[in-house]
Amino acid sequence: MELLVSILALGSTYALLAAGIVIIYKASRVINFAHGELAIVGAYVFHSASFLTGTTLMGPSLLAAIVIAAAASALFGVVVYFALMRRLLGRPTFVAAMVTIGLAIILKAAIVVIWKSRSVGIPIGRQPLYSFAGGGRISWIELISILTCIAAFVAFTVFFQYTRLGRQFRGAAENPLLAAQRQVNINLILALAWGLAVFSAALAGVLFGSRSMLSPQSTIIGLSGLTAALVGGLDSLRGAAVGGLLVAAATYLTARLISPTLSETVPFLILLVVMSWRPWGLFGTVEELNRV
Amino acid sequence: MSDAASPLLEVRQLEVVYHDVATAVQGVSIEVAAGSIVAMIGTNGAGKTTTLRAVSGFLPAEDVAVTDGEISFGGRPLRGLLPHQISRLGVVLVPERDKLFQTLTVRENLDFSLTHQRRSIRDAVYDYFPRLAERRKQVAGYLSGGEKQMLAIGMALVCEPKLLLVDELSLGLAPIVTSEIMSILQTINRNLGLAMLIVEQNAAAALRIASFGYVLENGRVVFKGEAEKLLSHQDMKEFYLGDSKAGSYRNIRQYTRKRRWWG
Amino acid sequence: MTSRSPYLLVSYAQTNRVLPEPYQRVVVAAIGVMLLCIPAVSGDYFLHLMNLCFIAVIGAVGINLLTGYCGQLSLGQASFMAIGAFTSAILAQRYGMPFFIAVPASCCAGAAVGFLVGLPALRFRGIYLAITTLAMHYAIIYVLTDYQAIVGPSASAGITVPPPSVGGFKLATERGWFYALLVITAFVVMFGINLARSYIGRAWVAIRDRDIAAETSGINVPRYKLLAFTISAALAALAGSLGAYFTTVVTVEEYTLELAIVYLAMIIVGGMGSVVGSVLGAVFITLLPFAVQRIFEMLPWQLGTTVFGIQEGAIGLAIIAFLLFEPDGLIEMYRRVATYFERWPFRYREIRPGGAR
Repeated sequence: MELLVSILALGSTYALLAAGIVIIYKASRVINFAHGELAIVGAYVFHSASFLTGTTLMGPSLLAAIVIAAAASALFGVVVYFALMRRLLGRPTFVAAMVTIGLAIILKAAIVVIWKSRSVGIPIGRQPLYSFAGGGRISWIELISILTCIAAFVAFTVFFQYTRLGRQFRGAAENPLLAAQRQVNINLILALAWGLAVFSAALAGVLFGSRSMLSPQSTIIGLSGLTAALVGGLDSLRGAAVGGLLVAAATYLTARLISPTLSETVPFLILLVVMSWRPWGLFGTVEELNRV
Repeated sequence: MSDAASPLLEVRQLEVVYHDVATAVQGVSIEVAAGSIVAMIGTNGAGKTTTLRAVSGFLPAEDVAVTDGEISFGGRPLRGLLPHQISRLGVVLVPERDKLFQTLTVRENLDFSLTHQRRSIRDAVYDYFPRLAERRKQVAGYLSGGEKQMLAIGMALVCEPKLLLVDELSLGLAPIVTSEIMSILQTINRNLGLAMLIVEQNAAAALRIASFGYVLENGRVVFKGEAEKLLSHQDMKEFYLGDSKAGSYRNIRQYTRKRRWWG
Repeated sequence: MTSRSPYLLVSYAQTNRVLPEPYQRVVVAAIGVMLLCIPAVSGDYFLHLMNLCFIAVIGAVGINLLTGYCGQLSLGQASFMAIGAFTSAILAQRYGMPFFIAVPASCCAGAAVGFLVGLPALRFRGIYLAITTLAMHYAIIYVLTDYQAIVGPSASAGITVPPPSVGGFKLATERGWFYALLVITAFVVMFGINLARSYIGRAWVAIRDRDIAAETSGINVPRYKLLAFTISAALAALAGSLGAYFTTVVTVEEYTLELAIVYLAMIIVGGMGSVVGSVLGAVFITLLPFAVQRIFEMLPWQLGTTVFGIQEGAIGLAIIAFLLFEPDGLIEMYRRVATYFERWPFRYREIRPGGAR
């Protein structure tokens, strides 16, 4: 049972990361390689913000820290779009992808410069919550992670399927020129995509940092998130959730049962298998492959 | 062109260049009077679509530039504005290709630009195009060609246009569907007083509902006039309306030598 | 009969030359003389930097042939270098092979691995291709990590490589390395330039620009893609092998994904699709961290170890700055200046296909 809980918790992190990558890809066909770094920066910022609002993270100070971090991350996403990605409209998407790689390098360097290389943890909810009959426990934070992930995915799905802005987003994702001709400001849509994506990345980072120690090396989770997105299909939110679970399960089981060092390669082995069999991912649109 | 009021849309000496090298349109001047239907006729590559796109705006990412000329709508200059800005001013384009969102349903397509005030227009669209009402939940990519065109026009109408630009609506449509849609456009024009600029290769169908027409060739306007005048003009009949005096193939050589325009 | 003109090629012989104009030949000769004289006037530190640049140039030329000319975005550069380094280390240390056998053998090993990586990569384009090469990178590194753990004195101490001797000369000084690397790099650069100008280079460019059209024009696309992977990996292995001899220690930890990205940064900064651009970019990126360090040393406040972070960040900044403002790289800046002078007093407006206004 504890195994399942750990996989679900890890899977929720990967799924959230994948969701952000999918949102940006759907909107602009750009693969964001900086997603892991954005998540960890978000976690570090939350960590510092929580010190500003009070040393114990409970009640009102926790809420304040959450609000600050949420707003700041969304805002940062919008800033990244306007400052950087917007200037690349019209260029091949591979150029934009390289720019995100450059951004990833800068963010990782920023972490080292600002917070040095020490590891920090976010002390929320490490206490065990419930003990299961067959042995094993679930802690507060694991439960929160899983529930938050589910809530986020439900919120995203509702937003994209049933709201006017979500509809305009889907339309602009399919055909930006037509959306512009139907009075939709493409820049706002893309800024929204980046804001949502960075917010979900920060969310994933904070939840991750509450379960494990944070260090500049933690940005490696971005690669697992990218794998999850590719496995599930780069333009499918449903795929992001499934991909996250799959990658988490494979990684965790490999680390436990076979060898921890191999578990670093596991995401890529999964990727190789999925790519050979179904390159556009489990739920991705088939035509996506030809677009690259 | 009967009243003396200034035209709704005025294009003067337009020049559009693709990729820095290909001049698609040169010295084109077009006017659309308020409430009228104006047709732009011509063969492939004549520059009709480019003119429409220039009026409705290019995205910065497209490698095309308006290098000369003025475009003004109700006195406001349109050159240099972004497509969504032009659309919000009331100039709405129904494009030739990629005219609707294939992955969205019919209802989602029509509700795309919906605001509270526009609900009545959207309901009116279902009245103009009953076939769309039957297929509200269907994904737009699976509609027939005629239904797609109707949906595309419907989407444009929901944007509350003051000038509707329609690009080659007859492409890929059976003649009976084309005339059905054309007459619906005429009805809309009469009911709403909505000015329209339609680009067509099917000159006869377009001139039947238009009041004024322009003929483009190789990026220039070579002929213009009232629709009746165009319909009855000898050269128009020969080159665009299919009423050929050539008779047999033997006369083709005379055909090309005789090609000239008596404006 | 043939008139001298600054930018018109007036004879067939002239079109075949790499350096058709006299002034170009003078410039290249001057650069050559300068390079030969450098050891006489520089200290070991500067020579060490130059040697690092030489090795980087070899790797950069390799990745540029694959990604810049052939358009195959590959993230496997580091793993190919690791193959070269480990092959040399194993051959030199375990089997006592001399330098001039180990190095070509490493190139062959690299070529073989490059071929194997290229096979699955034939199916994909763009990001999926990059992911495939990334997966191969991790697979290769995993194998080498296990090997190093078994063979090395301790898991992360790596394998030591004895300093190479070439026909009796021991390459142990910076100066000696400088001359050796100068010769090797010069050969690699000439090889790259000539390859790019040949039918192979033209096929690669055709594949990069529109591979379907290339196929229908009769180019055997899989063959040329595999050739690109093979040659690129061989050059990367050469760089890795020389690097192994140069630093005398090989550890698998230094061949990270970041290293592959650094090499991509070199060709972005220098100019993709240009061998001379690879040289410029390799020198720029190699020297950038040292320049950053120097700058920060001159500043009043103490930074300590955070300067490492800033050095890394500088590379990311260089990538972004060049992609935003000079996407065709340093070589394009040079070309603009050169053509201004070539065509003066005439001016011309460049046609840039596909460039956004």
